[in-house]
Amino acid sequence: MTGFFSKTLFFLLTMMIIPSFSKDIRAEMTKKSVKLPKTIGFWTRSDNARIIDSGNIFDYMNGAGELYLAYGFDHLEVYEYTSDRQDRIMAEVYVMYTSNDAFGLLSLDWGGEPVTIHSTPPFQSEPCVELPVRALYGGGLLRIWSDNFYARVMAYRETVESKKAVLSLGQAIAAERKRPAEPELLKVLPTTVGPDWKLRKDRIGYFRSHLVLNSLYYLSHQNILHLDHSTEAVTAPYEKRTQDGATKYVQVLFVKYALPAQAGKALANFHKAYLPEHQKGFDLGITTRQTHFFKIEDGWLGYALDGAGLAIVFECPNRESAQLIIKHITDYTVSREKNHGK
Amino acid sequence: MANRQRGLTRRDFIRGTVGATLAVSALRMPWSEGSERLAPLSLVTVVRDKNVMDAGYRVDPKILQSMVNRTLLQVTGKNRVKEAWADLVKTEDIVGLVPTPHLNPTHQELVDVVKESLMREAGISEKNIIMAQGGKRRPGKCTALISMPALKGHWLTGIGTVIKNYIMYSGRPSNYHEEKSAKLGEIWLIPEVKDKTRLVLVDAIHPLCDKGPQPDPRYKWAYNGLIAGIDPVAVETVCLKILTSKRQALRGEPWPISPPPICVEAADKVYGLGTSKIEKIKIAHFGWGEDLLLE
Repeated sequence: MTGFFSKTLFFLLTMMIIPSFSKDIRAEMTKKSVKLPKTIGFWTRSDNARIIDSGNIFDYMNGAGELYLAYGFDHLEVYEYTSDRQDRIMAEVYVMYTSNDAFGLLSLDWGGEPVTIHSTPPFQSEPCVELPVRALYGGGLLRIWSDNFYARVMAYRETVESKKAVLSLGQAIAAERKRPAEPELLKVLPTTVGPDWKLRKDRIGYFRSHLVLNSLYYLSHQNILHLDHSTEAVTAPYEKRTQDGATKYVQVLFVKYALPAQAGKALANFHKAYLPEHQKGFDLGITTRQTHFFKIEDGWLGYALDGAGLAIVFECPNRESAQLIIKHITDYTVSREKNHGK
Repeated sequence: MANRQRGLTRRDFIRGTVGATLAVSALRMPWSEGSERLAPLSLVTVVRDKNVMDAGYRVDPKILQSMVNRTLLQVTGKNRVKEAWADLVKTEDIVGLVPTPHLNPTHQELVDVVKESLMREAGISEKNIIMAQGGKRRPGKCTALISMPALKGHWLTGIGTVIKNYIMYSGRPSNYHEEKSAKLGEIWLIPEVKDKTRLVLVDAIHPLCDKGPQPDPRYKWAYNGLIAGIDPVAVETVCLKILTSKRQALRGEPWPISPPPICVEAADKVYGLGTSKIEKIKIAHFGWGEDLLLE
């Protein structure tokens, strides 16, 4: 019996030790990506960053972790700065697979004061968004898109000193890093459509997941457009002033799939799920190019499938406006294809 | 943005889980009578004090104590705090306090005030008051629960306050993401939890109206309130109204909560936990009235 208990005790101790040990190994093995100052203003950081990956992100931030996993997420580095004079400052650096993924996280909210934190010149390209904003500050929180980094630097209580420290940390995070252009896909959204419809640039969102789409524009709790990490998508409202002074909005969504066949299947699923009353006569999936318009409860819906690209417009006041918006988007994508993406 | 609150359309009922979950209510299952089973009006109290939190976000325990007292009296209709607690718990109860643990957590000062009041006014011994957030074994030990979530929006479920506060009792929180968030109400019916919640007391001192659960100071504001009732769905519905009004005030245009918080309607119509119909809720406000967000 003694032997049995010894073995059992050894087994239990091993099971307790190995996970914590391997977690430490994993943290050590993940190379830290940023070098932040030990001291900044009144604040001093702990010696080691906390490393979070997809395996423990929910322990760190509960359901908020789904947001980062919805993009290409490699790992997160967390640096905590404390001071005996002021509340703490937290610097979170999300290391994403691509610059586009990091851009997507920033694009979920264009609110705040644009600030300059980069020392390197931007990639020479015509900007997609009006101003190529890369960092936004508000209420003590600085959000940064810097190449494949997305960072949140937050003072738990905003003061003059904490703002200065937060901005300095932002500069340290972005130091010497490249400044790639915004995702090419944003260019499918014309700034204006016809004389009336104007793009709400402050509501452009770039994403790869239906969860993120639903936080920007609720479509369905299920993934009816087959979005995943191989797809990229952009959505934004367009607005126009009506004669009575009111503002009318429509929502544009453009999804680029990896392959035309995936786009066709996704459209077929979307049509079946979202437009169940319009099934008759539709045999989607036969051609890779088609355009249709439907009147539903909240206005006119139009979609156009063109190869791997799928454009959808929601809540249009009439068929003509839906046709006009879809035409502008598809004209642009077709012309880009003819020019080989230039 | 005008006219853009989609809500649940008939298409949601056609599609899979959400439809299947909510459509049950249309069948009027005997266990899903929902709000119709309750009294005509569910009472939700909103008690506010402008000075409960200072500019440095420090909470004044004395002011908070008087807000809790006011809440208890109004929720129960009693004249003394002792009588109010007696209406909610028995002296022999093992009371579990269930605050939001982290990411915009419930203020510790509120937990302390409630615990102290339970000991002093309700006669509950300290050993019989336990922190019950976590696995379902904790509420299993309790004979009464006081749910004490902090008010916040949630990017996956729309709102992450009352109905979601018991998610850890499921043992499988990730099973309640996406469309499955409609089923959050079922956790209130597991044996360890069912019929134990005596009071829902929402910490709305410094709520978060967007981007939750991660804190974003741009969307936090000093509401300086406590929202309470015994009907969890009614309390959540009032919380939703406050969040929605705050979002619109911030942007100057309608800014609907997205995705829509389907767990609230399901908690009413499928799980029968209370009412999600604002017209069936009597809101009783006391104290500071500025920016009440309930008009």
